[in-house]
Amino acid sequence: MQISLSSLLVLESFSMFSEYFICVTIFYFLVAISLATYSVRGLMVQKAVSQCFGLVLIMSLYLIINDDLISLNFSSFHNSISNDYLGFFSKSLLCFFSAVYFFIISDSLKEQKLTSFEYQLVLLLSILGLLIMCSCDDFITAFLAIELSGLAFYILASYRKTSSYSIEGGIKYFVVGAVSSAFFLLGSSFIYGLTGLICFHDLECLFLCWNIDWDLEYLSYFFLATPESIGVTDIRAMFRIAKRDLFVIAPHSYVTEFALSFIFFSLFIKLAAFPFHLWSLDVYEGSPTSSTFFFATITKLSIFVLLIRLCCGVFDNFLHESIHLHSTWVGISSIFVGSFGGLKQRRLKTLLAYSSVTHMGYLIVVFSLKTEQAIQALLLYLIIYMLSGLSIWAMLLSLRLKKKNKAKYSKEIGDLALLRRANSSMAFAFALTMFSIAGIPPLVGFFAKMSVFFATLDELRYLYTKIVFFSLLFSVVSTFYYIRLIKVLYSENLEVGKLYYPISDSNSTIIISNLIFLLIFLFCNPNLLWIFTQKASFLIFTQKSFLAFAPEGALSLAADLMDIYFLN
Amino acid sequence: MLNLNTLFYVFSIFLLVFAYMVIMSQHPVFSLLFLVACFIVSAFLLFILECEFLALLFIIIYVGAIAVLFLFAIMMLESKLQNLSRNSIKYVPISFFFISIFFAPFYLKNRNCFGVITPYADQKLSLYLDLNKYQNWYNTIDLAVDVEVYGQVLYSYFVLQFLLAGLILLLALIGVVCLTSSSFKGLSKEQSDFKQLSRTSVYFLK
Repeated sequence: MQISLSSLLVLESFSMFSEYFICVTIFYFLVAISLATYSVRGLMVQKAVSQCFGLVLIMSLYLIINDDLISLNFSSFHNSISNDYLGFFSKSLLCFFSAVYFFIISDSLKEQKLTSFEYQLVLLLSILGLLIMCSCDDFITAFLAIELSGLAFYILASYRKTSSYSIEGGIKYFVVGAVSSAFFLLGSSFIYGLTGLICFHDLECLFLCWNIDWDLEYLSYFFLATPESIGVTDIRAMFRIAKRDLFVIAPHSYVTEFALSFIFFSLFIKLAAFPFHLWSLDVYEGSPTSSTFFFATITKLSIFVLLIRLCCGVFDNFLHESIHLHSTWVGISSIFVGSFGGLKQRRLKTLLAYSSVTHMGYLIVVFSLKTEQAIQALLLYLIIYMLSGLSIWAMLLSLRLKKKNKAKYSKEIGDLALLRRANSSMAFAFALTMFSIAGIPPLVGFFAKMSVFFATLDELRYLYTKIVFFSLLFSVVSTFYYIRLIKVLYSENLEVGKLYYPISDSNSTIIISNLIFLLIFLFCNPNLLWIFTQKASFLIFTQKSFLAFAPEGALSLAADLMDIYFLN
Repeated sequence: MLNLNTLFYVFSIFLLVFAYMVIMSQHPVFSLLFLVACFIVSAFLLFILECEFLALLFIIIYVGAIAVLFLFAIMMLESKLQNLSRNSIKYVPISFFFISIFFAPFYLKNRNCFGVITPYADQKLSLYLDLNKYQNWYNTIDLAVDVEVYGQVLYSYFVLQFLLAGLILLLALIGVVCLTSSSFKGLSKEQSDFKQLSRTSVYFLK
């Protein structure tokens, strides 16, 4: 396919519509609402603003879905944004879930005393960072997107200024996040120092050449078309030069591995996987509930998309077993820590933080396999994790305890004891969501765990069989504390306990019941999830193999090599 | 003849003198002012070496932000440096000891860089004095200033990254304003002008 230069230039400017839209919305709201609240003292706009932002996100979802140019799989902004199916898929998911998030929190902001509209602005800015992180294609853009979202997280964590727990959580998050982004920068600067490249696509081409067996037979296999027609002799000479240059870097390959492990380290800190999970417990407990809701459900997706981009795209041909093994151990140990750490917890938010550590463990184990089925299981698990997370946190937000003494923000497990008497349908929904997270069959959480275990078992090695065995055991342990919540809900015979206000608005009721319906419906009809995740994971791997094996792909590879080695 | 080389030595000597004064001045405010002078002179040096961007960064960040911040912090803190010992002569031997420890490996490592620069090895003394006396012929043909090149790259190739950095700045601004401003009267930590002024005036009168 021949694309002329002028059409490419036009094509370049037709991307990132949703990000533009969100950006303009932020500027407009910042000016307009500041003016409105300045002239009228004590104007409460938080509910209207958050519902409006939910609508904005739905509109940007509309923009993403109607963007037909995604199928061209082109890169824009001088190769720093890639418009591929993985980005499209994750961005549409992110927009949808964060729109639902905005509708859920709109009621509870007044009760949490987060009445200034800057809270929602910061949320929207962090969502913008997460969206850019989903489609970034070089290290600088990735770093800036991580910083944009991370800076917003620190503000969100410490937003309740009067509570020292919130401030403490914010500072902890800030310190840990600064360390993690320093490591990201260190790793990417190592890679830049060794290869001179920051763009993911260029790096992919470079490491693709790394593993090619440079025999002439292979080259003739490589160009199935008639050799003279595409000028093999020139390309052969060029490959020889490229190979010579590669062997200059080759002795330093362990440094590249070192750099990659730094980058993984920083992203695992952001995900709160096991050796780096300790910040998440305090931050989740201390920060306001709606911020914790955001950290626990929405933020994990785009970091995994960045990891998939790095691992299955860029460094796929370079990575050795050691790195995979490394992330496998991180995964299995975070499953262990999350399952056993939550056993003695009495506070609900910390319990959910431990549960999130467990889920990150499953996701990292399945991520380290790098097969197509594994990536599909990863995406499926992420969607179901976000869905069940949304429903459980929506219920926690809408439970408003009647307090006699001074306001206490943390909720304990014992507070749920009278929920069955007060609001039996809510208690039933709570129990259903807990069953879904634990992975009990008539709910969609079962599919998530099943696909993870099957994808791991597909790897025919003894180690992975052991890993599946142990993670099954740990998942049984973690089922204990989910079931304990249900036991508190249903079989405590208390006469005296905490009382609840009725749910103030019908809005959150509708959302919660729809989410519960989805949890059951997707079990009966999982095709929808299956098709989209299958397509995303399939396209990640096929686009790359197209690059490697088809003659056109080889030509484009040759052109890229030309760019890298002759123009620089 | 006043060429760039002479200017280089003049500014280097000024830099050394100011750096010495930073350590030797008794009052922290004076020593900070000398530090500012140090930054400015080193920015001049960088200008001479044609690193305009770095020089401007030095002036904007170090002088404009950090030094002024230090100045405010020192002036707001209640200074208790009155009884600092004035005879610093007795520290000279140990300071020479530390200088030799830090300088010797540096010199031994980079000894070659000082000596062999041009093929005219016999003109030793003039070599040391005229280190950067050369003509860059490329500059006479195609002269693009450092800042100009940075600007061209930043506004064309890295425009997305530039905008993202601007968004981060906006977010930091919003975050700082809403984390520090407070509508509660009792809890706000406001600056009391009278208290502060009276404190500093008492300090200066002493």
